[in-house]
Amino acid sequence: MSLALSTLLYEWRRYMAAVMALALSGLLVLGMAGVFIGIGKGFTATIERSSADIIIMQPGAKSLIGGPAGVPRRFIPLAYNHPEVVEVQPLDGAGGSFQSVRNVDPTKSVAERARAGAPKQNFVQTSIIDTRPGSVTIPTDYSPELVEALRQPYTVAIDETAMRSLGVKLGDKALYNGQTVTVAAILRGYPNMMQQSIVMSRDTLRMVGQADTGPRVGPLMVKLSDPTRAEVVAEQLNQQGDGQWKAWTRQDLADANQSAMFEQGPLIIILGGVTVVGIIIGVAITWQTLRGAIMANIKEFASLRALGVGMASLRRIVVELSFWVGVVGVAAAIGLTWLVAVFAGTQGVLIALQPQALIAVGGGLISIAMISGLLSLGVLKNSQPADLLR
Amino acid sequence: MMTTKSHGKHGDFAIEAKGLVKRFKSGKAYVEVLKKVDFDARHGDLTMVMGPSGSGKSTLIAALSGLLRPEEGRVDTLDVDDLWKLSSGKIDKFRLDHCGFIFQGFNLFPALTALQQVETVLKFQGLTPAAAKKRATLALEEVGLKPRLHQRPSALSGGEKQRVAIARALAKDPQILFADEPTSALDGENGQIVIRLLRRAASEHGAAVICVTHDPRLEEWADRVIKIEDGIIIDDQRRTPNPNATLASHH
Ligand SMILES: Nc1ncnc2c1ncn2[C@@H]1O[C@H](COP(=O)(O)OP(=O)(O)O)[C@@H](O)[C@H]1O
Ligand SMILES: [Mg+2]
Repeated sequence: MSLALSTLLYEWRRYMAAVMALALSGLLVLGMAGVFIGIGKGFTATIERSSADIIIMQPGAKSLIGGPAGVPRRFIPLAYNHPEVVEVQPLDGAGGSFQSVRNVDPTKSVAERARAGAPKQNFVQTSIIDTRPGSVTIPTDYSPELVEALRQPYTVAIDETAMRSLGVKLGDKALYNGQTVTVAAILRGYPNMMQQSIVMSRDTLRMVGQADTGPRVGPLMVKLSDPTRAEVVAEQLNQQGDGQWKAWTRQDLADANQSAMFEQGPLIIILGGVTVVGIIIGVAITWQTLRGAIMANIKEFASLRALGVGMASLRRIVVELSFWVGVVGVAAAIGLTWLVAVFAGTQGVLIALQPQALIAVGGGLISIAMISGLLSLGVLKNSQPADLLR
Repeated sequence: MMTTKSHGKHGDFAIEAKGLVKRFKSGKAYVEVLKKVDFDARHGDLTMVMGPSGSGKSTLIAALSGLLRPEEGRVDTLDVDDLWKLSSGKIDKFRLDHCGFIFQGFNLFPALTALQQVETVLKFQGLTPAAAKKRATLALEEVGLKPRLHQRPSALSGGEKQRVAIARALAKDPQILFADEPTSALDGENGQIVIRLLRRAASEHGAAVICVTHDPRLEEWADRVIKIEDGIIIDDQRRTPNPNATLASHH
């Protein structure tokens, strides 16, 4: 084991401040990015788990919900023109108020009723499925029982993370735009921190009077006879559409959707600001810690100099030391962020830890540590062997 | 039991210095700490430099070993003519190849075991890890630390630490060994072990051992005693060492 690594492991307390500073900088950036990506994932979950092999939208649109993505109804038969297309269904959706209903027990006192809490009202986003088995609008992770449940008129499904804020549980009744609906199913894995959402069947949407009936419909969900040919068919559909529409493969759309989120100004500013703060904190504390640690061993370094070990070799020791501090810092940052993510998960907040983000932040932290190491090289000039001769 | 060859011929010059002058700035004035000192030391000799505190002993060996540039004078050593004409990198290399150092303090890395302390320097000398380990083990055995190879400094006594420092210096098989007050921080018993090791480095390895001390009792082991006062050599005598002398444990 090298001198640098031995020193780090043996005198780890001395380096704790630097490791913690790196871990916190990493947590700051990873956590922020994780929250944003988590928010994005809430939106893209619908795309990624859709059964559609291809999605046709208005050119320029990158997201299924929010923003104009729909196309003229006449595009549906046009899409069927392609021989490999087996099903085309427009996505539909709406929004409305969602109010939990309390069964009031008339025998209870006013005080007891008050303690039970007032009904909650939220604005929710509504999306639909077709309840015919195997339909292209049914997400891949929906069970047949779930589809079956939604086939009943006036039923809705909500994500488990939305139960608390919507104030309902399985089997509860609620008012959707003033009409009574029943929570017939609970979803897993569709958290959405920005806006609660509910799912219902296209028929229920029609019954509550919100289905598209006009000349425009939502994005077209397209099923192919051979899903592996999605890229090729999307290409051909785009040629066929001649600029009137854009056909995306599911994966391309999910990627575009997520990166579109990061093109938004405020996110970049927040993330950039957090990164700058993280770098400043990381460098400042790591630099000072390394300086102190080198000064603590300066006599030992000086004795090596006396024995003829050159300054360049000592510098290498310091740079190696700072590299290892960085490595430990990355491990601590990932551990810490993971803990926070687990905790956040219990609170219904999704912090997504993506490999790319981990690699980028990890590389950044090691760079911060090594920059700090380079900055602290200056103190090595105090390793004057002549000072040992007194 | 010796594992290393001896250097030069006993009696050959290892260092010859002429007219060394070293001044330090003190306020506005300069204080001359070495005043045209001529000095030499031979292979196989334990050369003792003695003098009161502040007389310039440490400054002298710093100038001889390439650690502190003198204002005037020259140092010829081994096959180097005028050490101070070399670049600082070359001077480092000279020390790496040929010089050992022992200080009053032990200056051992807290994180390293005795074996690793010695190995580290040898690796910088370019030895393979396996060769460094072998040499380091032998050097530590030679100073009687075989049972302590894997102890860190915190588990070693002062005397043992100084022996690790000596092993670190001797493992390089140096032709010149500088020691500055090597026994000052030790009790009589450990001081005796240390001075005997220095004695052996001279007699058996043929190193030129230059030992600075203000402890007159160490004279017993010396081949030559040089007295310095106020930056001037005032006495230089050869004597016959007594390798079996003893240091009282109380002083
Ligand atoms: N770096 C320095 N700056 C100023 N004065 C010094 C320095 N090093 C040593 N001196 C002075 O030089 C004199 C000789 O010092 P030194 O060689 O260490 O003496 P010794 O080792 O004989 O005790 C002392 O008076 C000391 O104060
Ligand atoms: Mg001194």
